[in-house]
Amino acid sequence: MRADAFPADAVRDRARRGTAALFPPVEAYGRNLFGAARTPAHTAPDADLLDTLRLVPPVFMPRRLEKLIDLAREPMHHDVDLTTVVGALHSPLPAYLSAFGSTQVASADLGTAASRQAGRLGLPMVIGENVVPVNGYGRLGAAPSGDSGRSLLGRIRAYLDELPDGTGGVAVQQSTEDADAEVWNLVYSDPSARPLLESGRLAFELKVGQGAKPGLGGMTVLDRAAATRVAEQYAVDDVLGDEERVLRCSSPGTFTEEILRQQIRLMRNNFPRARVWVKLHPGRDVREAAAVAWSAGADAVTVDGAEGGTGWAPLGFLDAVGLPLGECLRRIGRPAAALLVSGRMWEGTRAAKALALGATAVGLGRAALLAVEEDPEHGLVRLVEALALELRLLTSALGKYEASALAHEDVWAAGSGLPHSDPSLATPLGTQP
Amino acid sequence: MLHTTDPAAGPAATDRLPEAPARHLTDPTTRAVVRLQNGVLTAARDFLRAHGFTEMLLPMIGPVTDPGVRGSKQVDIDYYGHRYKLMTSAILYKQASLLAFDKIFSIAPCVRLEPLETANTSRHLAEFHQIDVEVAGASREEITRLGEDLVRHIVREVTEHHAEDFESLGRDTGAFTELLGQSFGHRTHAEAVAELRDMGHDQSADAEIDWQGEAMLSAKSGRPFFVTDYPKGSRGFYDRESRDEPGTLRNFDIIAPEGYGELCSGSEREFEYARIVARMRETGENPAKYGWYLQMVREGIPDSAGFGIGLERFTRYLAGLDAVWQASAYPKVPGVIAP
Repeated sequence: MRADAFPADAVRDRARRGTAALFPPVEAYGRNLFGAARTPAHTAPDADLLDTLRLVPPVFMPRRLEKLIDLAREPMHHDVDLTTVVGALHSPLPAYLSAFGSTQVASADLGTAASRQAGRLGLPMVIGENVVPVNGYGRLGAAPSGDSGRSLLGRIRAYLDELPDGTGGVAVQQSTEDADAEVWNLVYSDPSARPLLESGRLAFELKVGQGAKPGLGGMTVLDRAAATRVAEQYAVDDVLGDEERVLRCSSPGTFTEEILRQQIRLMRNNFPRARVWVKLHPGRDVREAAAVAWSAGADAVTVDGAEGGTGWAPLGFLDAVGLPLGECLRRIGRPAAALLVSGRMWEGTRAAKALALGATAVGLGRAALLAVEEDPEHGLVRLVEALALELRLLTSALGKYEASALAHEDVWAAGSGLPHSDPSLATPLGTQP
Repeated sequence: MLHTTDPAAGPAATDRLPEAPARHLTDPTTRAVVRLQNGVLTAARDFLRAHGFTEMLLPMIGPVTDPGVRGSKQVDIDYYGHRYKLMTSAILYKQASLLAFDKIFSIAPCVRLEPLETANTSRHLAEFHQIDVEVAGASREEITRLGEDLVRHIVREVTEHHAEDFESLGRDTGAFTELLGQSFGHRTHAEAVAELRDMGHDQSADAEIDWQGEAMLSAKSGRPFFVTDYPKGSRGFYDRESRDEPGTLRNFDIIAPEGYGELCSGSEREFEYARIVARMRETGENPAKYGWYLQMVREGIPDSAGFGIGLERFTRYLAGLDAVWQASAYPKVPGVIAP
């Protein structure tokens, strides 16, 4: 598997070596001189806003003093508490496993391997929106893919078999066309899902859009025979110039403020024991959409930046459509409730910057797939352990001991001038729209 | 570790369940209940026919059914290679039938795979029967009056003709004195929410009255009462949204007294094409599923109002039974394997 637009080698390195990969090679210790490379010039107009920011520890650290008094010793990075509530699901760190959907790379055994490792870590996990129509639910009848392990229940079983008590949970996505398959109703009325429901660990995520193709629905490539089978449900386009294969398009679904508000209310009404998540694409009105979702009672809003995505998308969309995650965070400002974000997340600094700009947790998508491909047994576990250590080091360096304490004052954008004297009003990214 | 549950294991903790079919059927309670239920059906049919209604036999399977609420799952069947549904409610066909007759009713089975948590509510069945009524051109005021008259007529008839059955069930028909002598109470959803909050119950203002809240209101009342004006988002796309108060539905429930809860749901219906499509989206539905219905709506259907009375729930209330499954000869409690 390749991920050309992603730091795949670094992810694979962490999947192999875990926390050791956070540091320069140990064999170089004592022989090389280390120091920062010249600060990269992120001045290009299309530079990633999150990448251009720096995390800026202060000198004076009153919160460290509070921690010192609490501990009766000097605090260390081990003392940082990363446990977080991610959209009403408990997590050992502010991260979750993003949805992979039914794209071919994730449909292979990687989806199940990722589920198993996420369960072992106790991380909340999102299950992609069209796993049921494509891979089946996993009960009566054979899975359309012929492999019950890839089905929705197969992934849930792999996850639950490893999940420790008191943490994690599953968010099951549904988008417009999956409503035909009644994915949520199916899960909600299924005895297999009862342990999740009874322990408050089941969420449903309304998929409004995705980062890699804002404004479009899912797209997959099918052979002609498979396309004929799904033609009643999906649009099929013969645009690939291929005799064997065609493009299958999901509809993006139509949303207005009122439609979004009512869909969320209906979810709360229909599934009172499940948590409600809403996934937004990085639209220009992401701030308004998030506000509608929160005010309608969503437990969490997920924003997928334009740099996110595991799936297949038109090149023009990958290059030029949708707001980068940093701009989404700038526009949203202080979130009214849980804000989950994804978009090129794999390591601590980018995650810490997102948390400082208001996110509650970050989603691992491509990084998780690469890690489980590198090592189906331990790759994701090692990657996440490295992420957790890095977050502890960074949070501690900022003089804080809870990930949720990260705030705007902890980041700096070159050229933004002195921060506001009141840290709570510091806006390193400028004013909101 | 949090293992998945064996689907065959059924609900974790359920109140008393039906016995084997032969024992359940021959139980004196079941026999009295079935006789009483016959009385209900006879009285309902007599009343509705006397008021000019035509009884329709509506489909049990179709490409689409009522989308439903509260998390119940539809049952798919393979209809010559096409995915069809068992009816969870015949609402769409009720509206269609008004193209032929202005006043129709139907008494038919419905199948809803209710969430497992409903196995313990004493009031849910996965398979049940509904007395469905629909009237072209009716307002909510007219349809609630009809519903109240129908309920009162049925109760009057069965108390008159089934005294022995009530006696064998140990049900004092004095419980119906208020119902027969006074008009039903009324309150809006917002008033019900406020009342429940005053009682210390945390009822959402955006949602259906939850089962516990409904039972609390029901237990306080000596006669049935209407709850009206549910918020949009709590019901299906066909309940008409008020033109004067957007966000509020022109609908109603009839709640039985004594803690028995909801007997009947109804509303004025949406009938305009663009409104129905928009409401479908608000309820997360894909309009493409509803091709035949939307084509018919586009060509024009009458505005209407109607309701559905859950036959087993109504029988349970009349008979004073502990659980709704006792009002069924072949009960299907959600999640419980039964013939």
